[in-house]
Parts: sequence; structure tokens; C-alpha cells
Amino acid sequence: MRPHPPPSSSLHLQTAVGLGVLFLALGLGLGALTIPSDAGYAGVGPNFLPWVVTIALLLCGLTMVYHARQGGFRHMEEASGVQPYWPGFVWMSAGLLANAALITTIGFIFSCTLCFVMAARGLRMAEGRTPAGLKSWVTDLITGLLIAAPVYWMFTQFLAINLPGLTQSGWL
Amino acid sequence: MMDIWTQLLQGFATAGTPVNLLWAFVGCALGTAVGVLPGIGPATAVAMLLPITAKVEATASMIFFAGIYYGAMYGGSTTSILLNTPGETASMVTAMEGNKMAKSGRAGAALATSAIGSFVAGTIATVLVTLFAPVVAEFAVKLGPPEYFMLMLLAFTTVSAVLGQSTVRGLTALFVGLAAGLVGMDQITGQARYTGGVPELLDGVEIVLVAVGLFAVAEALHAVLFEGKVDESENRMSRVTMTRSDWRRSIPAWLRGTAIGAPFGCIPAGGTEIPTFLSYATEKKLAKGSHKDEFGKQGAIEGVAGPEAANNATVTAALIPLLTLGIPTSNTTAILLGAFQNYGIQPGPQLFTSSSTLVWALIASLYIGNVMLLVLNLPLIGLWVKLLKVPKPQLYAGILIFATVGAYGMRQSAFDLFLLYAIGVLGLVMRRFNFPTAPVLVGMILGPLAEAQLRNAMSIGEGSAMVFLQRPMSLTLIIIVAAILVLPRLLKKRTSALA
Repeated sequence: MRPHPPPSSSLHLQTAVGLGVLFLALGLGLGALTIPSDAGYAGVGPNFLPWVVTIALLLCGLTMVYHARQGGFRHMEEASGVQPYWPGFVWMSAGLLANAALITTIGFIFSCTLCFVMAARGLRMAEGRTPAGLKSWVTDLITGLLIAAPVYWMFTQFLAINLPGLTQSGWL
Repeated sequence: MMDIWTQLLQGFATAGTPVNLLWAFVGCALGTAVGVLPGIGPATAVAMLLPITAKVEATASMIFFAGIYYGAMYGGSTTSILLNTPGETASMVTAMEGNKMAKSGRAGAALATSAIGSFVAGTIATVLVTLFAPVVAEFAVKLGPPEYFMLMLLAFTTVSAVLGQSTVRGLTALFVGLAAGLVGMDQITGQARYTGGVPELLDGVEIVLVAVGLFAVAEALHAVLFEGKVDESENRMSRVTMTRSDWRRSIPAWLRGTAIGAPFGCIPAGGTEIPTFLSYATEKKLAKGSHKDEFGKQGAIEGVAGPEAANNATVTAALIPLLTLGIPTSNTTAILLGAFQNYGIQPGPQLFTSSSTLVWALIASLYIGNVMLLVLNLPLIGLWVKLLKVPKPQLYAGILIFATVGAYGMRQSAFDLFLLYAIGVLGLVMRRFNFPTAPVLVGMILGPLAEAQLRNAMSIGEGSAMVFLQRPMSLTLIIIVAAILVLPRLLKKRTSALA
């Protein structure tokens, strides 16, 4: 058996993952109810695979919950034991969501630069060296602009892919 | 035979135009870069660049993507030799001996043997693709829906149940992928499924979104949550050169690695883990005397040369099932299949007749790309090593910018960016609990095709599933699938009973 049983907190998380799969299965099952079964010559209609997936995920979810209650998931890699660093996660998430919310109004370049600065802030904090003062903010801001702007030009000008701009010029 | 030769020459003529050569070169260089950079791999890179399929012509972009695909294999070994942190599974074996060699001051020889070995294996495997792909395609034309469905079932089984650490988690990942593939219009009846009345979802979930979310965003979130304090140290570079004895020890190892890797690529069983480990075990077993003692201590050059060759041979040969049967067996080949689909091309036996210019140009570009990569990775290796110095905050934050391009560029919808974040969080959970990602992508892309084949097959059988048992080829495949599922368990039981 495993030399070190995983801590109970990680077992709760594993149970939660198993329950999540079960909920997904239930949702898929509810959806499958509304799909007509008209099978034609094939004997299986458009609702066949949805039911297969539903039942399979139900079984997988049940097995995972069972495993989690019985000493944890099988064959897990050694957990690194590192505590998650949530402030960094919040910074990066905020950056990504701000990007999604603002991209059509302030344009690709500024929106992505903002996302870059916020994500880099989170990562710097995670590394445990947060240089105080304006310097690191300015560095990140300039680096972000130096990546976002050429990417924007490359894709809009050379590859003719539509990315939102602040203006209609295609350059900003 | 003559036929293949003339078509290959025509392929060289197409791939050799200045524009296509440029695409191949940019692809190889970009591939090497993403291979070297931690946190981003070929699957992510190709997925982020999928929007270019809207504008760039099919041959050029497939040459470009293929360059990224095998370029990343060259670059990946550089990182695993020089950096003391284990990277992706494909280069893990290389890291075992390569790292030891680098620590004892032989980084240069390790880099040289892996670059030349990759070249040798890649080229031999390309010859195999050239010779066998048309033959397989000719044979595959005769397969009907029941056989195709069984082949896809085989791919699902190997990708989810055999390769990962846990069958339950592999299967869960596969079925989550299949569920994602269900969203949209049913191919046969046009029935909308799981769209929730949202018109955008009728076309299904974008592959780019899922791939970029699962890899790039999840990777960045994982880095910020868990990897802040991980200390990375770098091994010292030495001159990239091999002594006479290095050559004598490397050449047989390259050839053995190729011989082990190529067959694994050909069968729809995907993954480079098994062939690279097998090659490593073989080299260790065959080594004699002082060479054997180097394994695990100063680092044995055979232990780098063999697995590296096996890796490249597998990856190149994996193009055979992709091009001739339309069956992807890894993350990257699944996304390449998605790229073909964006052009309205369905890889399969007909590909060699309907898009023969494209296929042969692609195969020719493999030869050209391998030469380019050898140049990029031997004399210019110092350039790539500098990439390892990019600080992590800027690296991951930069990856997020490219992720935005990929996700937004495909459909021009800001809603997709929110979805991208959600998929990223899902990927983070999967990563934390050791769920494999390849089954999700393979399930999502292959699922709708497999469903169509299943229903066509059942129509042939007039609604009876017996059709799968009555045809010899399909029956054989069923037996293989069953054997793959049952045999490893029986063997395990026996060995634990004996122990």
C-alpha cells in the first residue's frame, strides 16, 4: 500500500472532482432526454451517443468518488506538497477576465497589455520577489506593449485576421 | 514504385517554392522555440495559430504546422538536457541520461547526439511514410464503416485506457471530450444537441478554444499557483561536438531507436512514452563494461541517442495513421486533423487521390524540414539556449497574449475569451488530479466522425450490431481492442501472484 496516505483535505478535493463528473453526467442525461430517438435504418439515433457518454461518465464519477472515499485516487503522481498560492491566481484570473471584458472596447493591444501586466504581477508575487515601486510595473507595461503590438500588426496586417482595435486604422 | 517516385518529386517541386520553403523554415524555427521554452508545446502552438487557416493556403499552412510539429521534438531535447526540471513525458527519458551527461560536462555531446539522432530517425521514418502511406491508403479504401468505427474505437482505447496512469481518469477525460464533441448539429440528421438555443454553438465547440484553454491557460494558472518557488538550475554548456567513440556508440543506438519507434507511430496507439522507455531499456541492457556503468552515473550517450531517435521516429511515423486513416493518436496530431478539417479536407484514404499535391508536398517538406532542423539545432544551438533565460513571469504572461489571439481570432467573439478562462480552470483541475489531456482532444475531434461511422455501419447491418462481428476485419479489430483492455490486467495479476 502507499507509504504516506494523502492528507484528508486532498481526499475531500478528490471527492469533489468525482462529484463534479457525476453532475456533468446528470446534466448530459437531462439534455439527452430532449434529443429525439428517430433512428431510421441505423437502429441508433442522434440520442444514442449522448446516452452512452452519460452512462460512462456516471460510472467514472461513481468510481472516482468510491476511490476518493477509499484512500484516494489510484496511481497518483507524488503530490509535490506545495501549497497553492492564491493571490497570484487571483491576479492572473483578473487579468484574463479583464481582457475578455475589455477587448472589444479598448482594443487588442491595450487589453492584452493589461492582461500581461496583471498576469506577470501574479507570477512575480508567486516567486516571492515582488520588487517594490514603479520600476517593475513600468517594465511589465513596456514588455507587454512590445509583445502585444507586433502580434497585433502581424495578424491584422499580414494574415488578415480580424482582431479588435481601439480605432479602425488597423494599427492601434 | 515509379509512381511514388514521380509524385514525391512533384511534392518537392511544390514544397521547394520560395514561399513554401519560407513557411517550412518559419515553422521549424518556431517549433524549435516552443520545444525549448518550458510551458508551451507543439500542440499549443499549432492550436494558437489555427486561425491562420482562414487566410493562408492549405499546402503552405500544413507545411508550416508540420514544421512546428517535429521542430518541437528537436527543441524539447535541448531543454531536457540543459534544464534540471523534468519537462513533458516525451523528453523525460532523454532527461534521465542527458542531464547526467550535462552535469559531468558533456552537454555538448548529448545535444549533438540528440540532434543528429533526431535527424537520422526523422529521415528514415519519412522514407517509411513515403513508401507505406500510399500502400496503407490503397488498402484503407477497401475498409467500410464498421472497420473504420472499430479502428477509431481502437484509437480511443489506447489513448485513454492504456497510456495514462489510471484507466478511470483516462476514460473520464475521453468521455468529457466526446461530450464536448456532441455539442452542435448532429452530422446525419441535422438535429441540434446540447446547444441550449445558443446559435453559435450549432457549429460546435471550437478546437482552438479547448486546446489553448487546456494547455496554455491551464499551464499558466498552474505555474502561478504551484510553481512559484520551484528552483530551476541550468547545466553548463560545452562545445557541441562528438568524439569518434561517441559516434561509434551513437550510430547503432540511433538505428535501434528508429526501429523501435517507427512501428509504434504506425499503429493507432499514439504516445511516445512506450517506445522511448523501451529504447532506453534496450540500450541499458545491450551496453557492456564501462559503458554500462555510465548509465545513471556520468550519463551514457546511448541512453540519449536511442530514446531521442525513437521519439522522432514515432512522431514522424504517426503521420501514417493520420494521413491515411484520418486517425489522430496524440494532442498535436488531433489538432493537425482539426487544421485539415478547417480546409474542408477529411484525411483518409481518399486524401492521396483527392489532395495528392498537398500530401506529397507535405511529405517532401518533412525531408526538407529535417535538414533545416539539423542546421538550426547544431551550429545555431547557442541561440536557442538563450531562450531558457526568459524569466517565467514574462514567459507565461506572454503566452496568454498568444492564447488570446488564437481564441479570439477564430470566431471574433469576446464570449469565447470567458469560455477560454473556464476551460483553463478545468485544465488546471485536470492537471492537478493527473487526468491526461490527449483523450479529451482526440475524443472531441474523432468523436463526431466515429459516431457517423457507427450509424452508417449499423445502417449497413439494417439496425443490427451483428454487422461488427460478421466482417472478418472488424471482428479482428474487436478482438485486438478486447486484448488491449484485458491482457495488461491479466499480466499484472499474474506477476503480483508470482511475486
